[in-house]
Amino acid sequence: MYQYTEYDREFLHARVAEFRDQTERHLAGEIGEDEYKQLRLRNGLYLQTHAYMLRVAIPYGLLSSTQMRKLGHVARVYDKGYGHMTTRQNIQYNWPKLEEVPDLLSELADVDMHAIQTSGNCIRNTTTDPLAGAIADEIEDPRPWCELIRQWSTLHPEFNWLPRKFKIAVTGALSDRAAVQVHDIGLRLRKNDAGDTGFEVFVGGGLGRTPYIGQVINSFLPTQHLLTYLAAILRVYNLEGRRDNLYKARIKILVNAMGIDAFRDKVEQAWANAADSDDTFTQEDIDALKAYFPAAPELAGDVQQPDQMFSNPVFNQWYQANTKPHRDSGRRIVYVSLKAPGTPAGDLTSEQMEEVANLADLYSLGEIRSTHEQNLVLAHVPVDKLFELWTALKQAKLATPNLGKLTDMIVCPGLDFCSLANAGTLAIYDQIYQRFDNLDYLHELGDVSIKISGCMNACGHHHIGDIGILGVDKGGVEWYQLTIGGHAGNAATIGTRLGKAIAKPDVASAIERLLEAYVALRENEESFHDAVKRLGTEPFKEKVYDTAA
Amino acid sequence: MTLLRNGEWSDNDAWRLASNDVPLDHADGSYVIALDQFQQMDSMEQSRRSGIMLNPEDDVYALQDHLQSIQLVAINFPKYTDGRGYSQARILRTQLHFSGEIRALGDVRPDQLLFMMRAGITSFQFEAAPNKQTIQQILTRFKANYQPSYALPIAG
Repeated sequence: MYQYTEYDREFLHARVAEFRDQTERHLAGEIGEDEYKQLRLRNGLYLQTHAYMLRVAIPYGLLSSTQMRKLGHVARVYDKGYGHMTTRQNIQYNWPKLEEVPDLLSELADVDMHAIQTSGNCIRNTTTDPLAGAIADEIEDPRPWCELIRQWSTLHPEFNWLPRKFKIAVTGALSDRAAVQVHDIGLRLRKNDAGDTGFEVFVGGGLGRTPYIGQVINSFLPTQHLLTYLAAILRVYNLEGRRDNLYKARIKILVNAMGIDAFRDKVEQAWANAADSDDTFTQEDIDALKAYFPAAPELAGDVQQPDQMFSNPVFNQWYQANTKPHRDSGRRIVYVSLKAPGTPAGDLTSEQMEEVANLADLYSLGEIRSTHEQNLVLAHVPVDKLFELWTALKQAKLATPNLGKLTDMIVCPGLDFCSLANAGTLAIYDQIYQRFDNLDYLHELGDVSIKISGCMNACGHHHIGDIGILGVDKGGVEWYQLTIGGHAGNAATIGTRLGKAIAKPDVASAIERLLEAYVALRENEESFHDAVKRLGTEPFKEKVYDTAA
Repeated sequence: MTLLRNGEWSDNDAWRLASNDVPLDHADGSYVIALDQFQQMDSMEQSRRSGIMLNPEDDVYALQDHLQSIQLVAINFPKYTDGRGYSQARILRTQLHFSGEIRALGDVRPDQLLFMMRAGITSFQFEAAPNKQTIQQILTRFKANYQPSYALPIAG
């Protein structure tokens, strides 16, 4: 993975010193509440319902074991012993004290970590495929490009005060695991007929209260133009995006108001005007970044499959659900489920963080990835170590064999923590989890995704779940709106609203009826998404609401 | 009013801002006038003007044919969270090759100065006198950055 240079460290320590100074001036009354808010947000610090929340950046979801240990230490010393993985591959701490945050950031800087631009109206942490560099279906490893974007976007002088937040996602694989079409800019590496590598560039995707699927602004951007092209898009957005209405300020609104063709013309013009006056990079620059991401050393071809695969049904179930083929047949990609029964989705304790760090050192080249589904990945596990790893993960309650299954839900923090939320999400997660705690049923059902958001801002990505659940407030009472047929992969789709909102105690029952309909109606191995596409929402709607009546 | 120009502090300034109190025909070339006022003038009158103010919604390219005679472009930041002025400054410097004074005015705050300078702004007009020591620190703290073509101000 990328290793910080002295230059990066110099920069980061200056940033920590700057925030310490800003916090001191705020506490001394020299910087008012409003201005300090803008400054702290650009260092990841939110004020939530009960306390401050710090969102620490995990650039493109990649961590070393040393960094993971530090995250565990931070959780223990500055928080209540746990952290929460977000849908943008970052980690959140819910209970830091304001006056301790500069020290906390200083400790993170010691392991080359920070919370820069994890909030505020600026370019946020770039996200990518958590299986990058390990999965077989890859055109090119996206992480050097993510690192290039990370550096370029960090405290960019021109783009730090955008109309609204700005999110970039990159994938290098044929199968999109980074949801690039629901980002402000989505980048998909591809090869043209001549065999050259470029980016297919999507713009204007996003969830929130007005969900849009991103549109293609450039079907093949040669890689050497990446930064100037991004800058051209950002410049058009910075100058022309709406600033009069918070809810209409994202780039998706601008793109859709102008139309993609007119927007493309503007960007092309801005790009031509800028020529090479803005930041560019050389082939040597990107080659140097690529050298930080070597392939995992190849293992001997005759590594033995674990015997327990055949003799231990519990291990076998985990192997089937939570591991995937690596491009090297001697290795396996392992998902670490953060959706264990009885624990909040995406949370992990200090001890679990430290254990994952140890296991990464033992079995996965000392590196860990976070996923937008709020799980972790150990990407390079030798096949003959799988049983040992599973045994240790199980001990740490990190081996729930539910990856991609119904209980592997995406859940935003909801009303229990977030000041924006209209409704609770954690209780709904528990309610559904308890209803569907039979693993054999879940495996029989196949992969079905549930995504839960506590408000329109859609941090739980409910629009792109097979089943989406949106919490709404009606006269002080929590209700839940269901959508079905959403999809986050290559052909991203916004789900369709099923019908009137469901009362809080009835959500799991409604899901149960929905699944009964699916099981009854599916043909062969048909996925939930395909079944909804084929049948429309009507048969599902009938089942959910007729029984309810 | 306190001015920081090319790293020097000053309390007086030859430029005055045209406002409703000063009718335009009384405002000579030492007045900074808004772009929309400038655009309503005939070319004779325009050629006598050397200080122009841009508001956030103004198209900076409208100045393209007039930059020969312009010495100062003031960029108005009605609210410091509105970042359009950064792009205006950047375009002025790198695309329109304007080499005169670019001044930030309006809601100019110490913690934005480094970004403004790197975008190409060279002078800063503060409504209230800022803490000069704080500003010195802000401008010299970063020795490293990730956008080499947006140069850091000279350290010190």
